Amino acid sequence: MGGICMTLPLKLTPAETALLDALEGATGWRAATRKALENRGLPNKRDEAWKWTDLRRLTGNITEAGTIAITGSREPDAKLPITHAPTDMLPRLAGALGGEARIYTLSEGESLSLEVTASVGVGHAIYVVEVPTGVSAQVRERLCVADGGFANIAVLYRIGEGASLDRIVTTGNCPGILAQSGGVDLGEGASLRQTTLTFGGKLVRLETHLAHPGTKADAVMDAVYLLAPNRHADLTTTAILTGPDGTLSQLTKGAVASHGHGVFQGKIHVEREAQRTDARMTHRALLLGDRAEVDAKPELEIYADDVQCAHGNALGAIDETALFYMRQRGLPEAQARAILIRSFLGEPLDRIRDPELRDLLIEDLTKGLEALS
Amino acid sequence: MPMLDISNLHASVDNGEKPILKGLDLSVPKGEVHAIMGPNGSGKSTLSYVLTGRDGYDVTEGKVSFEGEDIGDLEPEERAARGLYLSFQYPVEIPGVPTLTFIRESLNAQRKARGEEEVSAPDFMRLIREKAAILNVSMDMLKRPVNVGFSGGEKKRMEILQALVLEPRFLILDETDSGLDIDALKVVSDGVNALRSPDRAMLVITHYQRLLDYIAPDKVHVMSAGRIVASGGPELAKELEAEGYDKYVRAA
Repeated sequence: MGGICMTLPLKLTPAETALLDALEGATGWRAATRKALENRGLPNKRDEAWKWTDLRRLTGNITEAGTIAITGSREPDAKLPITHAPTDMLPRLAGALGGEARIYTLSEGESLSLEVTASVGVGHAIYVVEVPTGVSAQVRERLCVADGGFANIAVLYRIGEGASLDRIVTTGNCPGILAQSGGVDLGEGASLRQTTLTFGGKLVRLETHLAHPGTKADAVMDAVYLLAPNRHADLTTTAILTGPDGTLSQLTKGAVASHGHGVFQGKIHVEREAQRTDARMTHRALLLGDRAEVDAKPELEIYADDVQCAHGNALGAIDETALFYMRQRGLPEAQARAILIRSFLGEPLDRIRDPELRDLLIEDLTKGLEALS
Repeated sequence: MPMLDISNLHASVDNGEKPILKGLDLSVPKGEVHAIMGPNGSGKSTLSYVLTGRDGYDVTEGKVSFEGEDIGDLEPEERAARGLYLSFQYPVEIPGVPTLTFIRESLNAQRKARGEEEVSAPDFMRLIREKAAILNVSMDMLKRPVNVGFSGGEKKRMEILQALVLEPRFLILDETDSGLDIDALKVVSDGVNALRSPDRAMLVITHYQRLLDYIAPDKVHVMSAGRIVASGGPELAKELEAEGYDKYVRAA
């Protein structure tokens, strides 16, 4: 007798029902988004890309409409309706429900600051940053979601030929649920230096999807996470290299207290045309207590034969010998621990090119460590 | 009253499973330098860790008094603030922490614990320059992360430099001569001798007599199987050098 194959209808969470209501009567790709949500629900642990970050479960009862305030160091250059559907569920929802996209077109030497603050309830937002050909600029995004909030933010960066962007993303000591999906299209010969610093939240998921053309373009995607008890941070990146002579370097470091949960998923995909690619990805984390949890999945998928690619992943505890050495010199245990964690986590931040930005992030990290001890 | 007074000390590692010290008695008066010599595995390094309070080294019996105070329950940093200093056999590398910062924070943590004023940045720089000169330690080395990439000799010089800055009341030198060539040994010994004072005492742990040619001890103790099995003057070190530890190992 053959098996019975049937699909049980998904039992929707209150949050999903509220999203479906918000999309009631939608047309075109918005209607398709609604259908997909109805069938599959919000991302959850049964989706391979979300197996350690169960957004569906944690957003379950958040139904009221929230707001997302974006305070920029200046006004956007344009606000445009979304015409093309993004691929993944969350950016699709952000596109469908986040209103018009704010477009920022950066000028040479510009330093744009965006403060994104989300209230209680569900909010969506979408913004686009364009770095025109040959322009060098900086963007600093500071994201914070209130307790009881779920902010779904989609971002797109278009970095033109020969342009250079330093992007800093920080999430403060904020308790809510934050999902940011970031697409980055890198032009020929362009340079991206991206550094993320997060202290997690009830759930923080920061995604970067890099389209890398090779062609002497150079990308750095570094990240630091420091998680107190009951904080969750998920750093997920994909990079697709499509042409020859590209470089990519990723260094992610984390430290997690008991009952904190860190996730790192990094995928580098090197296409057959991407000869002489140099791509490196390292993830290292410190488990600060017996009940700390870190899950990591570094992946390399290489179809070119003349490449230099490497990945490394290591989890460990604080070096007890070093801790004793420092205490023997008179440093109290908490201070000695903080110094060791700080020196471990500092490495990606030390790679930030701009000294002012670097100092700001190191200061944020130091404050985070003080709060932890 | 001796400065350091150890009586019937028993200590174990591996959660009490493995006894290392088995009834050790030792008294070191203020102003004196005592040497402890013994074969590998006799418990010399364990003694240094027990005295400084390292986790995992459990006292199961007996007592350690420092200046009349039972220090058995004190944390390592509390013992450090009271003036106990251990020069490590294998100084630890701490990437990402500049040596200058580390020494200054250590000094200020100790001073704070004693209720003293912190040392200002300019005063600290004057102090460290003065002490570094004694040990031929360059400012360049002090800017590098603690012990990272240092040679064995450089690490030992750094240990003694930290002692010169922290000015402990009691120094334990654990195999300070290991890994040193003769020139480095002289520099390190000069540093140690600069710390000799009527108010300070030292315990020099060593396998070989060589170091004691440079740091002349007032007394020499032989350690074997977790106990002091013989004590005498400096001539005892010479005898051990000539005849080896055999008769003491058997006696234990």
